Amino acid sequence: MYPRPIAPNAKAHRALYMGLVIAILLAWLAPLCAIILTSMRAPKDIATGNLWGWPTEFGLVDNYVGVFTQTPMARFFLNSLMITIPSVLGVLILSTLAGFVLSKFKFRGSMLLFAVFVGGNFLPAQIMMIPVRDLMVRLGLYDTTYALIIFHIAFQTGFATLFMRNFIAALPNELFEAARAEGASPAQILIHVVLPLVRPALAALAILVFTFIWNDYFWAVVLTISDSVKPVTAGLANLRGQYVSAWNTISAATIIVAVPPVVMFFLMQRHFIAGLTMGAVKG
Amino acid sequence: MKHTHSFASTRRTFLKTVGGGAAAVALGGLSMPALAQDKSLTIIFNGNNENQVAALRKTIADFEAATGSTVTLNLMDHEAHKTAIRNYLVAGAPDVCFWFSGNRMKAFVDRGLFDDISDLVAEQNYAEVLGGTLGATMVGDKVYGLPLAGTLWGNFYLKNVFEEKGLVAPTTWEETLAYGEAAKSAGMAPLAFGSKELWPCAGFFDELNLRINGLENHIALMDGQMSYLDPMLQPVFDHWEELINADFFLENHTSYGWQEAGALLSQRKAGMMNLGNFVKYAVPEADIPHLTFIPFPKIADIPRFEDFSTDSIHIPSNAKNKALAREFLAMFYEPENLHAFLAPAGNVPPRNDMPPSDDPLVNAAVESLKTVAGTAQYYDRDTDPDMAQAGLNGFQEFMVHPDRREQILTRLDETRKRIFGVS
Amino acid sequence: MPNFWRQHRGWIAPTLFIMPAVVLFGVVIVASSVQSLWISLHDWDGMSPMHWVGLGNYQELFRDPQFFTSLKNNCIWLVVFMLAPPLGLGIALLVNQQIRGMRLVKSLFFIPLVLASVAVGVVFTWVYTPGFGLLALVFSAFGATAPALLSDENLVTFAVVFAALWPQVAFCMVLYLAGLNSLSDDLIGAGQVDGARGLNMLFHVVLPQLTQVTFIAIAITAIGALRSFDMVSVMTQGGPFGSSSVLAYQMYEQSIFSYRFGYGAAIASVLFAIMLVFIVWYLSRIMRADDRGA
Repeated sequence: MYPRPIAPNAKAHRALYMGLVIAILLAWLAPLCAIILTSMRAPKDIATGNLWGWPTEFGLVDNYVGVFTQTPMARFFLNSLMITIPSVLGVLILSTLAGFVLSKFKFRGSMLLFAVFVGGNFLPAQIMMIPVRDLMVRLGLYDTTYALIIFHIAFQTGFATLFMRNFIAALPNELFEAARAEGASPAQILIHVVLPLVRPALAALAILVFTFIWNDYFWAVVLTISDSVKPVTAGLANLRGQYVSAWNTISAATIIVAVPPVVMFFLMQRHFIAGLTMGAVKG
Repeated sequence: MKHTHSFASTRRTFLKTVGGGAAAVALGGLSMPALAQDKSLTIIFNGNNENQVAALRKTIADFEAATGSTVTLNLMDHEAHKTAIRNYLVAGAPDVCFWFSGNRMKAFVDRGLFDDISDLVAEQNYAEVLGGTLGATMVGDKVYGLPLAGTLWGNFYLKNVFEEKGLVAPTTWEETLAYGEAAKSAGMAPLAFGSKELWPCAGFFDELNLRINGLENHIALMDGQMSYLDPMLQPVFDHWEELINADFFLENHTSYGWQEAGALLSQRKAGMMNLGNFVKYAVPEADIPHLTFIPFPKIADIPRFEDFSTDSIHIPSNAKNKALAREFLAMFYEPENLHAFLAPAGNVPPRNDMPPSDDPLVNAAVESLKTVAGTAQYYDRDTDPDMAQAGLNGFQEFMVHPDRREQILTRLDETRKRIFGVS
Repeated sequence: MPNFWRQHRGWIAPTLFIMPAVVLFGVVIVASSVQSLWISLHDWDGMSPMHWVGLGNYQELFRDPQFFTSLKNNCIWLVVFMLAPPLGLGIALLVNQQIRGMRLVKSLFFIPLVLASVAVGVVFTWVYTPGFGLLALVFSAFGATAPALLSDENLVTFAVVFAALWPQVAFCMVLYLAGLNSLSDDLIGAGQVDGARGLNMLFHVVLPQLTQVTFIAIAITAIGALRSFDMVSVMTQGGPFGSSSVLAYQMYEQSIFSYRFGYGAAIASVLFAIMLVFIVWYLSRIMRADDRGA
């Protein structure tokens, strides 16, 4: 292990070290603390410019209740889940399949295909606005959650395929040769060899992709207009539009919007590190 | 369009007419289910005021009750809506939407994206109650929307703060300079200014140009007929530079949005603000009664011209249910409904038969408009959107680096030539 | 036809596997991108018919001072953003200890990574606000006045990049933590026997084992720097007067606010050409790694 572990019996040393780490952590999270404190403030503090001190008056309940009563935030929340979850599942399935093929089958143009996935993922997404919008109109999906789901799956598949390909490429070849020698079909190899081994990678990928899609705002503006399909980030912006200076309400909404990715992260933390360890790291 | 109802100007007959229509549809619905779909309407509102939204919801509820229709109201963030409208007008339009009159509307009219509602205007005889205001939503002799509230540009200050600090709101250029010195010695920025969103710079340019060169020349510039290098514009920038050098504008104004800058008025850190009536959103409730309007100071000896920008409501060409949308517009535009919708924002109502406002700021604007010789909309509504974007950036740069005037104006003129195709 | 299947499943199955991803990615992303390239050869407002101008947009681009400002800012982003991998490594080393409570501390360090960039942008705008921002408070504690970072055309880009570093450092830290977890204890032990310790150990024993992580961290950071859009849009909208704009934002501004989709597409094409350098570098690394592995 590096750096050298501090000996378990050096109690004072350990406590001191932990103190130092926590001090750095507090500085690191100062901006976040500002959002949390602001989400508890009464409007008066905001008007007088007290953004960093302890609130002089608390409006915690008002602010958080306000988020849900002033906008259809609950509806947006549900929409976000209905967009994000299928998208993440779709990305995981497509990228596992594509990553498996690109890493373990030799065929002409495989590198070019991989290059296209990587390259497409590097594009600034804004430039695809008009063509993607027109495509969704032609498909009759404009202003539906499907438009967002399809776009997110397609766009994130670039990054995810890159990730999964590297991960599967790092799995020992002997496993695959042994399976082939036993007469296993590609589908059987996929199900019995690849899937059990890529689980940690899928967990890590799921968190990243969930975060990316959950936090998307741009495409929500481009592809949806109805409140009945808009995700939570667009709701956050509506709040910004209606109560421009109500930073306390906006902060509360920001915290609420951040909750699902944070929860997801804490739940899957162990897998996340494990997945990255084997995937991204040993590419 | 299958048939048009004859719209009545009083609410009761209107309800009766529409109610009859609804019954007919309900009966026909048994054999022709497709007609049932005709009773749904989608509206997009880019509003930023909860009382306005409430008023709109009430009108919608009344409309639903009267017509048996289902109305979906979608709210959109003001800034995001600017992106969204370019998409939805083409891709999947609502039946009714809100936008800005003038050149911003014309941009969509030219591309065939807003419906011609001259028929509705003729039926309802809106020309009579709107007078000149209707011009804001016309292109050629056709009407493409109904004008909503107008915003009269000018200077705003808090009377109590001015009394407390012994300041006098200026009406001439000399007084302006004297006021600047007085405000500074009182420890305040003479003018609260937030240019982060760029457009407040253009408002200030408009004021100066209208005061110095008058409306006709201003419009020539907006239409791309006058060069940004024209010597006529030099005095505009001379005056502006004089104020910049006198530290008239809030320090670091590019870091502030207009709301943050506006908050400085009641914090007594700044004296005046150059904006429309909506400045009141940046002022705490308690101070609003003290908020006072005064026109931008006189400079050249010419009649008074002002920026008076009008928002508007439209039916997109791709709307699915234009007949019902017209019915909605007619109801929405009835004096009481319109009043309920416009009053919270505190702007000048378009119809001359509306209930008198109890908002002193509105009445001040109405009063002030009586002595105005002519109005422009606003820089970014009067000129081409592409030109406006370049202009806004150029004006902001000038306010920070007045020494770059030559360079900025040369660049703007190149942009003008490219856009308007002149040399 | 079980026989046919047996003979050909070697290629049919993989083709079927990869098809969904290829079709979806091809139809949505690749086709749209190619269409954008096509648009860049036209004068187009996004609504009316397109008007062919050939390379006109590109010619104009190279005369546009704003383009060079954006390009310069993208370079600043690229350089300053490269602080993220070393800073991420630093924090990863700091928290890579097995002390009670350290797991929670690690998770808390990750949080900026999952915040929406809109939230990050808003909170750093508060940090920089003249007068009562956190920065102003810190400066005034020392009796100094903080510069209005977002108003200073020379500093504004640095201020925005600095804010964007926050989640990016967290990302790199996660990667390095994963890397540190998979270090070979044998090699570390061997290093200790050879008398390597502290920084010496870091540079000669640990980092060589982390090349792959470093490579990925740099690649992701470079792309993040070139693609930067959200933070600029939230914090400055490219201002003051375009001095903090980057190519992605300028493209958006030209397309949306100036109705110049052709010109915006041309900017995007140039941006993509720059990214191509990184893509090629990245792919060649992967291919070499594959060759070594084979």
